[in-house]
Amino acid sequence: MSTGESAPIVEFDRVVFSYNYTEVLHEVSFTLAKGEVVGLLGPNGAGKSTTIKIMAGILSPGGGTVTVTGLPLPERAVDVKLRIGYVPETAMLFDSLTGQEFLELSGRLHGVEEDALQARIEAMLETFNLLSDRSSRLDSYSKGMRQKILIAAALLHNPELILLDEPLSGLDVNAAIMIKDLIAALAAGGKTILYSSHVLDVVEKVCNRVLIIHQGKLIADGSAESLKASTKESTLEDVFRSLTGAASVDPGVARIVAAMAS
Amino acid sequence: MKPLRDWTGAVLRGPAACRLLARMGIDARRFWLLTDLFGQLAARRELMSNLGHNATALRTSGWILCAMSGLMTLVLVTVHPHLATYLAAFLGLTGFLMSGVLFSEAGNSLVNPVEGLVLAHQPIDGATYTAAKLTHLARILLYLVPALNGIPALGGLLIGAPWYYPLLHLGAAFALGGVIALSCCAAFGWLIRFVPARRLKAAGQVAEVVPWTAFVMFQNSRGLLRHLHMPHWMPTDTATLAWIGVAIAAVAACAVAMGLRCLSGDYLVRISAIAGGSSGAKAKPRHSRTGGLVARYFGGPAARAGFEFVGRMLRRDWQFRRQMIPMLPAVVWVSYMAASGWRTSPFSGTFTVMHVAPHLFGMLFFVICPLLVYGSDYKGSWLFLLAPGGAIEPFARGIYAWLWLRIVVTPHIVLLAAAVWVWGIRDAALFTAYSAAVASLYLGLELRLIDGVPFSKPPKPSGQAILFPIMMGGGIVAAGAVAVQHFLLFRSPAAVLVTAVALSAGAYAATRSSLDAFATAIRFNLGLMSAEAKPLYTEVG
Repeated sequence: MSTGESAPIVEFDRVVFSYNYTEVLHEVSFTLAKGEVVGLLGPNGAGKSTTIKIMAGILSPGGGTVTVTGLPLPERAVDVKLRIGYVPETAMLFDSLTGQEFLELSGRLHGVEEDALQARIEAMLETFNLLSDRSSRLDSYSKGMRQKILIAAALLHNPELILLDEPLSGLDVNAAIMIKDLIAALAAGGKTILYSSHVLDVVEKVCNRVLIIHQGKLIADGSAESLKASTKESTLEDVFRSLTGAASVDPGVARIVAAMAS
Repeated sequence: MKPLRDWTGAVLRGPAACRLLARMGIDARRFWLLTDLFGQLAARRELMSNLGHNATALRTSGWILCAMSGLMTLVLVTVHPHLATYLAAFLGLTGFLMSGVLFSEAGNSLVNPVEGLVLAHQPIDGATYTAAKLTHLARILLYLVPALNGIPALGGLLIGAPWYYPLLHLGAAFALGGVIALSCCAAFGWLIRFVPARRLKAAGQVAEVVPWTAFVMFQNSRGLLRHLHMPHWMPTDTATLAWIGVAIAAVAACAVAMGLRCLSGDYLVRISAIAGGSSGAKAKPRHSRTGGLVARYFGGPAARAGFEFVGRMLRRDWQFRRQMIPMLPAVVWVSYMAASGWRTSPFSGTFTVMHVAPHLFGMLFFVICPLLVYGSDYKGSWLFLLAPGGAIEPFARGIYAWLWLRIVVTPHIVLLAAAVWVWGIRDAALFTAYSAAVASLYLGLELRLIDGVPFSKPPKPSGQAILFPIMMGGGIVAAGAVAVQHFLLFRSPAAVLVTAVALSAGAYAATRSSLDAFATAIRFNLGLMSAEAKPLYTEVG
């Protein structure tokens, strides 16, 4: 995993975003360099998925500038979408399609040539142990199988930037280990990866840089080691707790138990 | 038929058509990929909320409209009108029905793009996506325009039209339908461009009301037009009028073109905001007193759950509100009539608008009850699978309580208060009792039309297209009941009193029986749901 010194793949400059007059991102700025694996952390509602959706060209920023692979968003959203792979946090799929059909649709929309597409689908399905289920409808797939299809669809067109929003959700242990290895291999091959997750030890293992967003603000940006050193904490989980005030959840737990007994 | 279909497909996907699409800013390859995808999803019953994607619903609507236009042709051929009047009558009907259906379908496609969430991160530009999305409007035209105009086009030959009249008639109807379809898309293009995403769904519904209410307003605005003395300030020479016409047409064409352009811009970039857009309004936590009373008298917390669930969802469910929109012209019309004629007592011996009022409740329930099971948030109905068996009856009673208290009892209390002042106590009390009994009987009978848990099924796409003929049929039945009531009943207050008592008893018995049937329907549908849980999860959005 190397942090390249060429032009950044992603530039977020003072990005603002609001839902229904509620500002969820307040002037967030950061860059991602080629070949970096960056972890994006934050509590629920902090703005992680919104950040990723803006980067994927799905949402328009309310202010600031965003460029991805040198292209401005949202003006060049279609071109950006050709260059990125995105695994959304919720497995939104067309459930009446089969796994094979969904991957074909995704690949064809990205303009992958038919021969290459079929070869890649074959390889992906085999790697993810989905070959025997390729002709089954997606509504018969388990949560983990659906997640594998989403990951395969995100990689089919060989994107430069890969955005992973909770990619290990629903995956079994073997598949999760395989995805972690895959992330490392992709980064070694020069891909840039933004990895959003609540599983902090995985982020600590696979990412060479961590961004922490809290209440719409970027409150930390650095390697796991540098963050531990600056906060004088021993683990990334402790860093996260101290920066986001997660320690204050215990009274809430007591309140829930008390309310259930009342 | 198959060779013709293959040939049409080959021409449409051929290089010439692709060049034409490219000239319009549409990526032909992705356009056909999306068109095939939507067709495939519809064939597998995943994308069912669009009329144009549902061949069964289109055929049903087509046959109903065909029967209606056949009857109209029969009447007009018997009257033997001038050919221009004959053509204008059917084009007017086509314009009226198509504007309602297409406006609603365009709105459902563009401001409720459920499948857009799956495709939002795919490299598709707005023009290509909206073009593929709106091809189903063309299918609606291809089915419904011939259904409405096929028989009338041939019928024209019976009133002395030349041999080519059927072609002329159908051509004019298709051209009109095409203009309406483009105008509907353009109108939503303007809305999407200028209305914030969080208000788009509400704005779309307001826009859908416009063609229907404009029709009713036009019906009732002749006096106003006469009052304005338009001929005095309008130019009289033909050349000036022609230029004004051309100018208006040019402005309209520009507005349509710009509206379509608005649709094709960054539509897919904003689709997440559009699909997930909500008003942002926060409901205050309320503990309704009526809910407490319903819990006490209709069967406990489960009854209160039914009462409050239906009350809230009726106000907030986007698909339900959308399906109720065609009712609005009737409401406007009745309000207009009521405002002009309610001061005369129904016992005065003359016919008044109040004689119709009790039967309007019947028509209202006739529309509401069958539609009540369809909603946007039907996937949340898994919750009812967890309800204990004993909660179903009180839950059904709670739903009935909302319909009866809010739609029957409340308006009658208002009516009584107002009528006492104008008609006197005896007439007011007698008529209110009679009207409430009739309305309760209608509700008691039509409760059987609620086929399952309210808001637990995906919306039925044929609803909009067949509602108008159904309302016409219901109107004819109600007119018969009003005539019987006027000539046989309202001659004697004693007869009205006896009838009101009899109807109340009938309403009680009908409600008891229908509540049992309703609870059984809920149980049956929950059983189906648990046996085949897939429909809950298969449809996107």
